[in-house]
Amino acid sequence: MSEAFILGLSSGSACLATCGIVMFPFFMAGSAGMKKIAWDLSVFLLTRLLVYFTLATLSWYFGQAIFGNPLVRTIVPGILYIMFAIMLVWYSISKNHNPVCPAKIVNTVNNHRIVPVFLGVVNSLGFCPALFIILTKGATQGTLVQSYLAFIAFFIGSSLWFIPLPLAGRIRKKEVLTKIGILATGLAGIIFMIKGLTNLIGGLING
Amino acid sequence: MDNILTIVGMQKSFGKSLLYSLPMFLISFMFLTGGRPDFSNPASGIALMVVFLFVNLLYFLMHYTGKTDRFRAVLFIIFALSLSYTLIHNMLEVRKSMSFNQADILECKIPFCHLVIPMMLLPAAFTKSIIFPGSIIGGFANISAMVVLWLGATLVLGRGFCSWGCFYGGWDDGFSRVRKRRAIKQISDLWKWMPFAVLLMVMLTAALSLTPTYCSWICPFKAVTEFEQVTSVESATKAGIFLSLFGGLVVVLPVMTRKRTQCSFLCPLGAISSLSNKITPFTVKIDKTACTECYKCVEVCPLFALSKEGIKEGEVSLFCSKCGKCIDACPKKAIHYGIRGIPAGTMKNFSRNLFLFVSFLFMAVFSSGPIINTLQGVLKLIF
Repeated sequence: MSEAFILGLSSGSACLATCGIVMFPFFMAGSAGMKKIAWDLSVFLLTRLLVYFTLATLSWYFGQAIFGNPLVRTIVPGILYIMFAIMLVWYSISKNHNPVCPAKIVNTVNNHRIVPVFLGVVNSLGFCPALFIILTKGATQGTLVQSYLAFIAFFIGSSLWFIPLPLAGRIRKKEVLTKIGILATGLAGIIFMIKGLTNLIGGLING
Repeated sequence: MDNILTIVGMQKSFGKSLLYSLPMFLISFMFLTGGRPDFSNPASGIALMVVFLFVNLLYFLMHYTGKTDRFRAVLFIIFALSLSYTLIHNMLEVRKSMSFNQADILECKIPFCHLVIPMMLLPAAFTKSIIFPGSIIGGFANISAMVVLWLGATLVLGRGFCSWGCFYGGWDDGFSRVRKRRAIKQISDLWKWMPFAVLLMVMLTAALSLTPTYCSWICPFKAVTEFEQVTSVESATKAGIFLSLFGGLVVVLPVMTRKRTQCSFLCPLGAISSLSNKITPFTVKIDKTACTECYKCVEVCPLFALSKEGIKEGEVSLFCSKCGKCIDACPKKAIHYGIRGIPAGTMKNFSRNLFLFVSFLFMAVFSSGPIINTLQGVLKLIF
């Protein structure tokens, strides 16, 4: 447990930095205060926890071989990155144009309720080296509960880095910062799109 | 009659223009020759003299005609072209290729460029290290010299650096002059904030990866300088991005919009320089008493620095690069170079003379080296 916690704590800064390129502009673009940011952050962390539980179950059941497969390591994140990128660009454009659309999914994205959820999934399935270590650990645990505990410890360690984020809601924002935030969210989308395509094409070419 | 006098107010007589050009003549001579011109190599001697005379002729014409932008642009565009030529020429001589490989990175053989500066800030503050694989002092285009030069120029000229000192600005400035009319007229005001978004993302991603992400992934000018050897999907993607951004933002959009779109919509260094416009001594001012609100200045401004609302308020936005295009276009000379603290409409000539001296001297000294190199190369080819 302590090993998993320390592993999470040491890799948490990298998690924060990965999410930072989305979270920072995303919080700038919205008109959120501390409460709203704390809510979005909770949704993000809860999603991560759920994904970790799923990974813990899968790694315990199938063993680590499934995650060692290069296709899973490159193509799954690649597709996720692309989907996330489309959502971010969509969010950025809709923030500028405010289209009236009856489709529920459009409004869900436009009201940015889905962004923290997806960010949580993308962040958890980014398959960083620390996650691979914990997957190996989960696969070698005797019981499913032990596998869950290892992932929970990893989750707590890596999540501590995110706790100060809601303080950003105290910063008084000018309209221009919102504009920059919207544009930067779109740029983050483009970055994820390129990352996703590179992963996907690289994965397909290299097997 | 009053109007005519106002219009020709920036022009000077031949003798007076010559007198105003004399300090530039002497200082640029000292900078270019080190006080001892060397004519042992005829090609370099001829190139040196031609460039020296050419640069000083442009400065003289600025005073004589009262026009700024057209002469600034000539030197600025030649500077950009010749710098690319010099860089490519050097790399072909040293590496036999425009691309660099991992060994070049490890040996810190990559020339430093001022566009890296925004990316260096956060990693330098937190890790006390510079994330660019170049040499700190010594060698070709070293980091400390470039940072000091950029910092000095930015503190004095503000975003004027983008029109009087930038290595690359001449590329899209040149392409923005190709067509006489704009093919795309409506561009949302929102886009002018894009460089700040790029700056934010570049700083975050550079801090995250401790690599110069703008150079690695975005810089359009990699297409005309140097780039990573294409050995993988990732490096091929990068090369694709460089070429697309160069083609789109440096060539096609400037031609279609008559605006400097790379500088307006992408460059993160331009964003930082814009902020420095708040503290620099030189500004561009609007004399509201003389302005007839014809908005010719808004139309010609290449960097979206002027708006109709701003003109009504007598305000020039922080995006102004002091290129002088609006000043040349104004039929009433209501818009002019000014000095912070001095009211608009007063000391126009003094402010212009002072600004031109500082900014042109910077550009002349900075640009002459690459132009001389290029001319030498051309002379060698011919003879």
